[in-house]
Amino acid sequence: MTTTYQGLALRGLAAGGIAGLASGLVGLFVTEIPIRAALLVEESRAATEGAGHSHEEALVSRPMQVLGGVLAAVIVGLAIGLVFATAYAMARRWFADGTPFHRSLTLAVAVFGAAAFLPWVKYPANPPAVGDPETVNYRTVLYLGVIAAGLLIVYGASWLASRLTHLTAPGRTTAVLLAAVAATAVVLLAFPAPPDAIPADMPVAVLWQFRLSSLAQTATLYVGIGVVFGLLVDPATRKTEVKASAAA
Amino acid sequence: MTSPAAHLSAVQVPRWAFAVALLGLLITYLVLQENGLALGAASETLHEFFHDGRHALGVPCH
Repeated sequence: MTTTYQGLALRGLAAGGIAGLASGLVGLFVTEIPIRAALLVEESRAATEGAGHSHEEALVSRPMQVLGGVLAAVIVGLAIGLVFATAYAMARRWFADGTPFHRSLTLAVAVFGAAAFLPWVKYPANPPAVGDPETVNYRTVLYLGVIAAGLLIVYGASWLASRLTHLTAPGRTTAVLLAAVAATAVVLLAFPAPPDAIPADMPVAVLWQFRLSSLAQTATLYVGIGVVFGLLVDPATRKTEVKASAAA
Repeated sequence: MTSPAAHLSAVQVPRWAFAVALLGLLITYLVLQENGLALGAASETLHEFFHDGRHALGVPCH
């Protein structure tokens, strides 16, 4: 049984590496298709306008960028896995009556909602050839701000759940969900609209294929971490240890 | 089998756990957000190498 922080952190790294690799493979086989289509738009734009973004190709070759895409998912997976394990170790209030697997999966889904799905809804992911370099810092601030707000809602929901223990479990879950939905609606209304218009030469089909692929990749990363970490920390997955601890 | 609550409260979280979590966030920042703030000129190569990954994971980009 995992009772030390070091043990949890190692399992977080393992879960993050596996989920990151899975996410990277989704990227390699799924997201790269609309990325290639978007780069064609960028190229035809450069061909008609003459100068432009052509320096990018020279700095890092396309095969290296594809490798970098998979590697980015693996490295981010390892890093998020460490953060996730730390949050799991510290979050004593999270469904104290649930099994470790259930707790891990719930925390992962909540973090996915706050750090990936919420920014995806408010500021949908865009393929290359869409973003305006002039607004990248503003867009980054908005993106990080909405993630911070989302994580605050998750923390607030866990706090609220810990204060409503006098309610029945279904009543408490309903109350916490309603409060989280209300807070999310406020965040979505309070944050400004994305500043960039989608260029007319970007096909809508490519745009949405990219956005859904991107969502599939972040979902694979976060939910994958929750599932693998849950499997690694739940003693129910190791029957001999369950028997041993029951005998003790 | 001990109860899950007992299982979790048994975990002693050392103070340096915050440093580990910060390290994780820093690495995520370097891979997904580095625009020249921390690494200067070398960041442009890093940025382009992880370019597909940045877009694919939904991070704003130029």
